[in-house]
Amino acid sequence: MKTIIGLEIHVQLNTKAKLFCECPTNYGHAEANSNICPICAGQPGGKPMQMNGEAISHVLKIASMLKAKPELDKDVFVQRKHYFYPDLPSGYQRTSKPVAKDGKLNGIGIWEVHFEEDPGRYELKKGFVDYNRSGVPLVEIVTAPDMRSPEDAREFLGKLEQYLRYFNVINETEVGTMRIDANISQEGSARVEIKNINSFSNVYDALSFEIKRQRTQIEQGVKIVQETRHFDENSGITVRLRKKETADDYRYVPDPDISPISFSAAQWKAAADAVAELPDARAARLASQYGITPADAGVIVIEKEFADAYERLVKERKFDAQKFANWMRGPLRKQLNYRNLLFRNSGLTAKHAGELYEMFSTGQVTDKAADQILIGMLDTDILIKARESGAYVELRDTPRNVANDLGLLKSSDSGALKAACEQAVKENQKAVSDYKAGNAKSIFFLVGKVMQKTKGTADAREIEETIREMIG
Amino acid sequence: MHHERIARLLEKIRREDGRIGAFIEVYEKEALAKAQELDRKAKEGKPLGRLAGKAIAIKNIIAARGKRLTAGSKMLENYIAPYDAAVVERINAEDGIIIGSANMDEFACGSDNTHSAYFATRNPLDPEYVPGGSSGGSAAAVAAGFADIALGSDTGGSIRCPASFCGITGIKPTYGLVSRYGLSDMAMSLDQIGPLANSAKDAKLMLSAIAGRDARDQATGGTPENGKVALDFSGKPTIAVAKEFLEGCDERIAKEFHRLSDSLGAEGYQISEVSIPSLKHAIPIYYLTVFAEFSSAMQKFDGLRYGKTGRELENLTEDVGELRGSKLGLEVKRRILLGTFITTKEYHDAWYGKTLSARAVIKRDIEAVLGKYGVLLGPTMSTLPWKIGQKMENPLEMYLADILTVPANLAGIPAASVPFGKIGKFRPGMQVLGSRYGEGKVFALMEEIERLDRK
Repeated sequence: MKTIIGLEIHVQLNTKAKLFCECPTNYGHAEANSNICPICAGQPGGKPMQMNGEAISHVLKIASMLKAKPELDKDVFVQRKHYFYPDLPSGYQRTSKPVAKDGKLNGIGIWEVHFEEDPGRYELKKGFVDYNRSGVPLVEIVTAPDMRSPEDAREFLGKLEQYLRYFNVINETEVGTMRIDANISQEGSARVEIKNINSFSNVYDALSFEIKRQRTQIEQGVKIVQETRHFDENSGITVRLRKKETADDYRYVPDPDISPISFSAAQWKAAADAVAELPDARAARLASQYGITPADAGVIVIEKEFADAYERLVKERKFDAQKFANWMRGPLRKQLNYRNLLFRNSGLTAKHAGELYEMFSTGQVTDKAADQILIGMLDTDILIKARESGAYVELRDTPRNVANDLGLLKSSDSGALKAACEQAVKENQKAVSDYKAGNAKSIFFLVGKVMQKTKGTADAREIEETIREMIG
Repeated sequence: MHHERIARLLEKIRREDGRIGAFIEVYEKEALAKAQELDRKAKEGKPLGRLAGKAIAIKNIIAARGKRLTAGSKMLENYIAPYDAAVVERINAEDGIIIGSANMDEFACGSDNTHSAYFATRNPLDPEYVPGGSSGGSAAAVAAGFADIALGSDTGGSIRCPASFCGITGIKPTYGLVSRYGLSDMAMSLDQIGPLANSAKDAKLMLSAIAGRDARDQATGGTPENGKVALDFSGKPTIAVAKEFLEGCDERIAKEFHRLSDSLGAEGYQISEVSIPSLKHAIPIYYLTVFAEFSSAMQKFDGLRYGKTGRELENLTEDVGELRGSKLGLEVKRRILLGTFITTKEYHDAWYGKTLSARAVIKRDIEAVLGKYGVLLGPTMSTLPWKIGQKMENPLEMYLADILTVPANLAGIPAASVPFGKIGKFRPGMQVLGSRYGEGKVFALMEEIERLDRK
């Protein structure tokens, strides 16, 4: 039995302001109903402002990375899609006509790309509506029904997510920024729509369940009805929302308060240039140009800014390409991941990374001290607070200052190191005699003691040698 | 001195408005405080704004922070606007004194102000008669001497009709000349805010204060900033009279119109008769546009928002249906239903799609005439005011009353009504239409008509 799957993917765009007003978009980090104005809260008399230019530029980039053909120099109307729901302040959602059509990604056809505005959030059980999210810009990507299995969908979405993240065009500071409607049928049977799946990974689970359900029904001779279903992520099953014998009628009309938008060839070219090198192509180039492993290159291109920093520093500071790649994907990425941060919104810049790696690679700080410096930089009060409110703050402190403040610069004073070793030997005579009795491992106990005393500023190998000379 | 005068006006309103019903709410405290502030500023020798001391009534479809914005409907009975409309910001900045909110037909649906959900406004020229609508409270407030200037909104004649019925002056400016940020929607591609006043001079003064681009209303995108909008014209604009304007017009009004046209001719104005055959389609095109846009605009009024409903939501569909059913008036419901019908997928192309293309034809035909002549001239209304209670049963008859005023909205051009002559207690309005942003010529001819009327 052939399975046919098509997806409608809604993703929030990474913009400071909402689509038709100037309210901020950090809805989850602000008190409920604090990021609102008469426009996005649908107050009588509120009218849409001109469409957010940042959103337009992001959507053009997305259209270009999907190889879709833009509607150049045409009037793209913004329509009103009418329905009643408490989270929809005006009783209609604004959604544009296609900005671009007929693209392809990973072998899957793209039917169209257009704008939408997000509604607010409604908590049914509490009867509470929060309009902070109302008016946040979304892009909707509609695929052709070209996928044949949940694996196809997963692969497609994985690639799409990789591109969207790499180019920093989607909102990653809030939760619930992606929603997917999946259309799925068995060839010759009616089509079922699973609405509002809230993550890419849930799409896989929802599709897997739904295929089994549909096939079982068909095998049992039960006809599949056209309907809308909901995926319950706790139980992993889909449940019927409503039967859908006729198409919903949203009474689309062009919004009389919005002049149609149009894109010039120059605007399109700027967007296309910005996404000319896709992340996989860049990874391949990094691997061949700098001779690093494909695996390292794959991690380096996780964010465009991260890869930019890598290339710039290798060129400008003449770092060893492979060693520096190891450090970026290893110790640096580890500290970012631990805090759920992206390089681009961490406050760290290429300059910070370059200075710190320089200190480490020239032996001015140990690997442990480099970790401490990163932690010291990322965990300042200001930065932690900024992260809580969804804001971005660039770090002022340099790695060298932080190293100085924390006393982490490797001690070049061999007298001090020697003194610390002598003291450790004196205080731990049992370890010394064990070592002399042939227990070679005892020396590491002594090294550890010295490292404690020198707060990690001394190199372990140097300590070991000093002690060996002393007691050897 | 402002304080004294405003206090006197407020006293007059207290005494007389019970008979007229021009105001939904009178802002006594705020008006007196503002007057006092102006007096103090004047005493200190500080400069005052363009509207200093003018008593201004505002149609209650325009938001004023902290004040009820009812739109003449029970649906918004308890709704307090949380912000100022752009025009209210401008009036406050120019030291105008807002004295109250004016009554209107519910959500601006009506031509006689008997469709207010609260009470009907009466015509100050004869309280047995309607003041026209939907900005009937605004017109009555000026005609009764309660306010110096009023703001109304005009989607198909809602400023000009009541101005004509109440014997005062009103202008619907070019679409996009005045920001509508804060004006609750009727039909968004037609709506425009404009002044009603006792003279063209006062109307122009108000327009100069409120006109100008505003990022919060995209329709103003082609308009210069406030203070840079041209409202003056020196010289004699050439005049065209469309013969369709006089078809079916009340003979007494037609007679006054011909008297005006003769007087203008005698003053050396060049007057040409023209024909715009597509005007006969204006009413169906206008109402289909209104129904479609109005039903969309009314979608937000589900009965759950904008003031407490006093009940718990149990079943969304049922509760919204019931609340809309009980809180909206008959004419509003009629328009929502018709608009919903013509925008359904099945009928969209047959009705709304066709309407959009037919509208483009009328617009083009009117623009062609205004490309050749300075202004178009005709009567504002083809009838005199009717008695309160008449025309209630037959909506079609009421829709037809707008026949002379809707073309200006369809074309997005300025159109004013200025009184000329006298028929019994009433003073019929003469309508002057100009090209887009051609307010200068319109005002120039209005002032000329006023001068001839005084003769």
